[in-house]
Amino acid sequence: MNSKTENLQRYDKPLTFTGWFKNVWTSVTTVLKGLSITIRYVYAEKPVTIEYPEVREPLPENSRSRLFNDVENCISCYQCATACPVDCIYIAATRRDKEAEKIKTKDGTAIRLDLQQYTIDTALCCYCGLCTTVCPTHCLTHSTDYEFSAYTVNDMKYDYLAKDIRMWRDRIVKD
Amino acid sequence: MSHDESLDTTPMQSENLKSELLTLNMGPQHPATHGVLRVEIKTDSEIIAEATPHLGYLHRCMEKHCEHLDYRGIIPFVDRMDYLAAMSMEWGYCLTIEKMLGTEVPRRAQYIRTMVAELQRVASHLMFYGTYAIDLGAFSPFLYAFQERETILRIFEELSGARLLYNYIWLGGVWNDMTDDHLRRIAAFCDRMDGELEKYHTLVGMNKIFRDRTANVGVLTAEDCYSYGATGPILRASGVDWDLRKTRPYGIYQELDFESIVGTGEMGTLGDCWDRYYVRMKEMNESLKIIRQCLEGIEEGPIQGKVSKIVKVPAGEIYMRTECPRGELGYHLISDGGKIPYRLKVKSSCFTHTAMLSHMAPGQMIADFVASIGSIDIVLGEVDR
Repeated sequence: MNSKTENLQRYDKPLTFTGWFKNVWTSVTTVLKGLSITIRYVYAEKPVTIEYPEVREPLPENSRSRLFNDVENCISCYQCATACPVDCIYIAATRRDKEAEKIKTKDGTAIRLDLQQYTIDTALCCYCGLCTTVCPTHCLTHSTDYEFSAYTVNDMKYDYLAKDIRMWRDRIVKD
Repeated sequence: MSHDESLDTTPMQSENLKSELLTLNMGPQHPATHGVLRVEIKTDSEIIAEATPHLGYLHRCMEKHCEHLDYRGIIPFVDRMDYLAAMSMEWGYCLTIEKMLGTEVPRRAQYIRTMVAELQRVASHLMFYGTYAIDLGAFSPFLYAFQERETILRIFEELSGARLLYNYIWLGGVWNDMTDDHLRRIAAFCDRMDGELEKYHTLVGMNKIFRDRTANVGVLTAEDCYSYGATGPILRASGVDWDLRKTRPYGIYQELDFESIVGTGEMGTLGDCWDRYYVRMKEMNESLKIIRQCLEGIEEGPIQGKVSKIVKVPAGEIYMRTECPRGELGYHLISDGGKIPYRLKVKSSCFTHTAMLSHMAPGQMIADFVASIGSIDIVLGEVDR
């Protein structure tokens, strides 16, 4: 094997007298040069570490974290569920009664369907942002909320029609 | 039976002792394997006789998934192949689909794409620099490299909203526009990086210990590279001038002035670990040069070309390749004219490079083998897909 013999030859190269001193000299000088850079980092550079739970860096505005759907403005168009590559959005809607009061979203689109269920399985979600970009009424948004954990996988399913989740609106919705 | 007869009377001499190879599993949780790679090595004391890489620990059926997704939904999936160079992965995929659709990408989007891809290359090579230093026993370079990488990730986070898996390059353009503030910060980053790269090279590349551990180790000749199908920095480190950005230009690379870096064998043999390290360090300089030219030439205008809402790629077949930080990335798309691809095969450079491990290993010591694994800079997410 060609590479084998080459590799083996490397380990028994003879060392000359001057070579030994040259080795020592280059080792000392290059290591000292490196150490001077390290020492410069110790004294001349400002610390950049953020000590996380105490200090938090604000996320950028368009950061893609926890999803939030403002169900009052949702027209149940299913576009988000179609766009989702991992199929983690579950929607159920029924046709609205003709006699019922006519309602509109914030931007004036008529709501023709009654939303019965709007659930996102956050444990499946890959936070790609495809669902929020297709949303015609901009009711589905990524919030900058990133600290969410749950004890069971079922707790990661967010039912956006539930009262407690609707209350997030005051806290996280970007207008 | 007398007691004496049962005794073995042959003297204890080395030629009479039985010896055999020791099988050793390196990985899948070995810190030097950069992910979940298992290398089965047969060693004769410290010298390796044979090494076989075993793959599949990170296999996520990417290609099969793509056969059930619409063309826009695939982009977040290709991100997850090479998670350290997600922008380059997306760009290659989008180029493939755009070529099939015949979409014209606006000039501003082209510039932004080139810039983010080159920033990604710098970030990826910084990652290589840091982890390679860790492999060889130096910890602090990793922290210095990550400090600079953070600047790039912060810019990407503001552009796309995510830090690693961007989904930023879309069919026909890019998602968000770059503001003047971003451009200014990128320019400031380029200026800062010039000094930093020199510092990094003094700290690690010129260090005698590092040089002794990498020079003449894991030598790959140009013939080896041809026979295994190596691409990217590994091929260039072996002295072959082959950079897809130069030889088969895509995007706006033909308008830009840069050099493809070729290994010189400065510290030892041509194509050794030190050369592969040095090619990557030099490439960062070239990337900064490209970014500077883009900052000068960037034009005002739209960032999104015309792509219909439901993408239907005409029936046909295409193979498109791009130069990623780790080598050539190819997408082979077969379309039957529907909304989802019939087949999307990804040619990954890391996969071919992993195969070269078994070529480099025989005759190496185990510690040198660690240096060899580090020098080819594989990402197991791309190997297994």
